[in-house]
Amino acid sequence: MHRRRFLFSSAGATIALAAPPAGVTVLYGDRTVHLDRVRPDPKDLWVRAADLPRINEFTLKPQGACRADMCIPISKELKSGAWFNLTGFAQRIHQASLHDSGVWSFGEMPVVRGDFYRSRIAPDFAVPDRKGRVVHLSDFRGRKVLVVTWASW
Amino acid sequence: MAAAQDTGGEAAAGQWYDRANATYTTLVDAQHTVSSAYQFINVPMGIWVNEKGRVVRPAEPAWNSDQVMKITGDKSIVTEGKVYVDALRDWVRNGDRSQYALSDEEFARRVKPRSAAEMEADASFKLAVWFHENGKDELASKYWEHAQELNPDDWNYHRQEWSFGKDAGKKWMEKFQKLDKPYYPPLEIRKQ
Repeated sequence: MHRRRFLFSSAGATIALAAPPAGVTVLYGDRTVHLDRVRPDPKDLWVRAADLPRINEFTLKPQGACRADMCIPISKELKSGAWFNLTGFAQRIHQASLHDSGVWSFGEMPVVRGDFYRSRIAPDFAVPDRKGRVVHLSDFRGRKVLVVTWASW
Repeated sequence: MAAAQDTGGEAAAGQWYDRANATYTTLVDAQHTVSSAYQFINVPMGIWVNEKGRVVRPAEPAWNSDQVMKITGDKSIVTEGKVYVDALRDWVRNGDRSQYALSDEEFARRVKPRSAAEMEADASFKLAVWFHENGKDELASKYWEHAQELNPDDWNYHRQEWSFGKDAGKKWMEKFQKLDKPYYPPLEIRKQ
């Protein structure tokens, strides 16, 4: 470490260290998550494993990427130290993803969605009401609910 | 509960809720989260969910009146609200014993997993909304159009974007006239 510093200073040159990549925004389900740090990569989105739960409720465990009572085995290529390859994971589970200008958008997770087709349990959502209070479908358990969409257009 | 599929937010949807004197839960769903969750492709559409969170009736038109809207010489939009509301009332009274509650077989017939194109369209639409909300209109247009190309049957993708530009009505008519299928998914509502 000391020797490296000496080399930098003795060269008399200003060596500009690469600036850490700016934060990115991740759109995942009904969540918008801003990440202040991601690992540089020309193609993939590498996030800190510690950020995974707030992105998609998954946690990395020895048996794989886990959420509730489901665990998906993942290859070691998807992990690098504290980092996790979120787009690589998306490809693994056939999940669509797009990105542009620092914003990454992920589609539904077929492996999670499949539970809806099997169980008929309505996927939950988190949507604000007119006063900005977040409403979940699950808030209405115990009652019959008609959910209707409409639009001003 | 009603969910306004309005990227324009309260500014777009609020006055209509006011005029309706809504006493039910009123959501402002700028990201079209509800349509995405239940695979709605037009408005109005609805689902019925029972006390245990189970979908009794999946995505279908949720009309509340009978109308025949003649659009062109040979094309009309027909809504069947009376049969829908009568069925809804039956379910409210009778719950899962209602003959309008769908069997598992009928549910499976009506609800299909999204194709790869549809899943990408869904992600693209969300991206477009984000760019619009953050003032990047060119990028919003790019990803709205990408969603429309991937899933041309989703009228929400088209109409939401058109609402921010010019000639929304003209664009709607052009697309409607080219339709070779009904404007709405069928409302198959009958006693089981």
